[in-house]
Amino acid sequence: MVVGKIISIFDISVEVILSDESVKIGDILALEDNYDYSFEVVSINNVSATCISLGTTRGLKKGSEVVKLSEGIQIEYSDNVLGRVFNSYGDLIDNKEFSSINKRTINHDTVSLKNVDVTADILWTGIKVIDFFAPLQKGFRMGLLGGAGVGKTVLIKELIHNVYSSINAHAVFVGAGERSREGKELYEEMKESNLLDKMSMVFGQMGDNPVSRSKSVYSGLTLAEYLRDEKKQDVLLFIDNIYRFIQAKSEIATELKQLLIENGYPADMANEISKIEERISSTEDGSITSFQAIYIPADDYNDEAVQTITSYMDGQIVLDRKIAELGLYPAIDVFKSTSKLVDVEKIGERHFKLIEEVLRYLTRYNELEEIIAILGIEELSEEDKSIFYRSRKLRYYFSQPMFVAEPYTNIPGQFVKIEDILIDVENILNGSYDNVDESKFLFIGKYHE
Amino acid sequence: MDDIWTSNLNETVDNIKNNDNIYNTGKVIKVNDYNIEVTGLNDVSFYEEVNIDDKASGYVFGIYADRVIVALVKINSEIKPGDMVYALRKEFKCLFSLDSIGKVIDVFGNDLIAGKKFDNLVELSVENKPLPIMDRGLVKREMLTGITGIDLIYPIGKGQRQLIIGDKKTGKTQICLDTIVNQKNKNVLCIYVAIGKTKKEVKDIYYELTRRGAASYTIIIASFHDELPTRTYLTPYVALSIAESFMLQTYDVLVCLDDLKKHADIYRQISLASKKTPGRDAYPSDIFYAHSRLLEKGCQHKNGGSITILPIVETKAGDITDYISTNIISICDGQIVLSEKNFTKGEKPAIDYGLSVSRLGGNVQDDEMKKVGSKVRIDLLSYLDVRQIYELANTDEMSEDLQKRLREGKMMIDCLKQYKFSPKTKQEMINSFNFLVDEKK
Repeated sequence: MVVGKIISIFDISVEVILSDESVKIGDILALEDNYDYSFEVVSINNVSATCISLGTTRGLKKGSEVVKLSEGIQIEYSDNVLGRVFNSYGDLIDNKEFSSINKRTINHDTVSLKNVDVTADILWTGIKVIDFFAPLQKGFRMGLLGGAGVGKTVLIKELIHNVYSSINAHAVFVGAGERSREGKELYEEMKESNLLDKMSMVFGQMGDNPVSRSKSVYSGLTLAEYLRDEKKQDVLLFIDNIYRFIQAKSEIATELKQLLIENGYPADMANEISKIEERISSTEDGSITSFQAIYIPADDYNDEAVQTITSYMDGQIVLDRKIAELGLYPAIDVFKSTSKLVDVEKIGERHFKLIEEVLRYLTRYNELEEIIAILGIEELSEEDKSIFYRSRKLRYYFSQPMFVAEPYTNIPGQFVKIEDILIDVENILNGSYDNVDESKFLFIGKYHE
Repeated sequence: MDDIWTSNLNETVDNIKNNDNIYNTGKVIKVNDYNIEVTGLNDVSFYEEVNIDDKASGYVFGIYADRVIVALVKINSEIKPGDMVYALRKEFKCLFSLDSIGKVIDVFGNDLIAGKKFDNLVELSVENKPLPIMDRGLVKREMLTGITGIDLIYPIGKGQRQLIIGDKKTGKTQICLDTIVNQKNKNVLCIYVAIGKTKKEVKDIYYELTRRGAASYTIIIASFHDELPTRTYLTPYVALSIAESFMLQTYDVLVCLDDLKKHADIYRQISLASKKTPGRDAYPSDIFYAHSRLLEKGCQHKNGGSITILPIVETKAGDITDYISTNIISICDGQIVLSEKNFTKGEKPAIDYGLSVSRLGGNVQDDEMKKVGSKVRIDLLSYLDVRQIYELANTDEMSEDLQKRLREGKMMIDCLKQYKFSPKTKQEMINSFNFLVDEKK
């Protein structure tokens, strides 16, 4: 049934004069004869509705009549989702047959305070820097922050490899505003290693319009909720990249002529983020552990969007360009990377003390680097010299060959147990390895026999 | 023959009945710098081609309830309010001729060196839908530049987007030209896109490529600052649209975009002129999307064709962390950073090996290159780190290990120096680093 007529058209927004009162915010409208042109209603007054276009608006004609297609974007809500690839609007894109059992709209309530579950076991990732500086437990929201090209995506992939493949969990991968090439690579890798059967993927990549990029997150969340609420599973949710969600929202807000805050972000950013993050919680049915890559625009760590997102994180791993420049991967800034688990009562005194000691060494190391640049290394006191050399070993030791980087680096990946990390770090600090050349610590797993 | 006549006639009659033969018309009510506002044009489509008498042409850029915004791409004479506007009932498209190879062209089918239009023109969409994820293949095949520092350490694959970034006069364009020249007899179609370069520069590049025999497989698409900004803004999209049509016929295409910082600035100019709310650094909020959808055209297609893109970005004072640079870095599959310091020291090509990255790395190299390349990269980076610390130290008191590292480091830096247009083969590259492997034994 025709519900209105298009009277104005822009890049991603259109305005529709309504002839039917039943149209609500969130409804999906489309051209009667061509569903490729479809729109979501975002605001409404008594004569017209403003809509955002799910696809392109090119070729769309003024005066075209629209019909109501559905009550909102829907995605499959059944076991059929496992091993499948969707686009942001819930359509399958893996060219395989599909018969739908049950669909559900992608907007859903957050988990109430009553139902949020916060107790769980520690989850080891086998990645030295993460397990040592920012260990996590099931149900955590972990942020992986980094500027452009410092290794966020590789780290996310390594986490998929280590965590998803090793524990018997279900997983959802959301590609939001990232590279299509990487999406395809991930799909192929999962298929090749027979890991696809417990994973679902949703892609709204960077070549797609902002509406698609922002909806991919909601669609992915709905799949994760299915696995948690209906299948009662512990779920891993990987989002690469949650910053792109806000970025897409800014583009839409600009197009809708809303007033923006600094750097062009939408004024309701905190609200939008909260609606996403509060859905990613554990309940007594199951847990959702999420790893969310967070892009840092212009290397500005204090960016408003980045800070808003990180306030929802239980832990964060910050990647640093200066360390990447030295070729030390994963290029983690140990001073900014931490988690809520770093607490004497939770990880034990030994681990906690070691973190403190390592940070003390590395802080001094940074000061010493400046002194050396002026005076040379020979002018240092004996104590400073040993701090200097041991810190360099620590820095090298925390680099790690990654499984997913093996084709690039030619070095086989390593999974390191926390016990081994603690022993190695202890030995470096107490001087047992003072006679070992520092280059021996570069790109290894554990050092001690 | 009669059949064709009758069917043509019937079509025309149908058109008259449906009023389809009549152009939708309107009147200019306001003239801005690069767009005009028009009343009328009642059932116009978004992105439809529009003529303003014989004075100008453009495309529909925004449709309001009471007026239409037309972006201008060509102005022959001055437009005045009241001029008649005709919507042409077809999508705005650019023109391209297969004779363009070896020529300098614009996006409307003009041969700029000869100063005339091509005869056999075809219409091409300015932009197509993004390629579905499942139609993509994996980037695995090498795209050799002939430059040791790139092919060995930060290799480029067919279908990769590798950014070249650096200050003015650090040899950015030269790397593109080297790469193009190195594609001779390799069945790669090259497209060099000059965005906002001077006419002198473009002519120099044209002569340089012709002289080195690269013109037979290269198209130069140029757009200059003295043209309408809308036109310059569209140029890279059209270039990729051309590349895409070749890729779909299984060709390998290399596209150099020189440079995207200027493109961003032009887009900012257009956006601000159309009163869009500015975001960071006054760029429009969708500046990321403007570049991401452009660069996502670079890919390996499952049919075997590919588009490799080498975008260039110019920085100031070596700062690669400004807004536009980081945006583009985050889209590309890696970056070659050029440093002014290395350039003045004579270490050319002036690649900053610490800041450069290839996300595909060894994936696109053969085993031998991968083995040598990854060794050279790790050793080189650790040398550059150590060099700073021990700059003031006494060599004699150093450990044997350390002395060797410093000595090898210096040799590595020397091996990476290379003059322009003097490509090396893979074997030459591997051989020059033999000393690293030999000493270890």
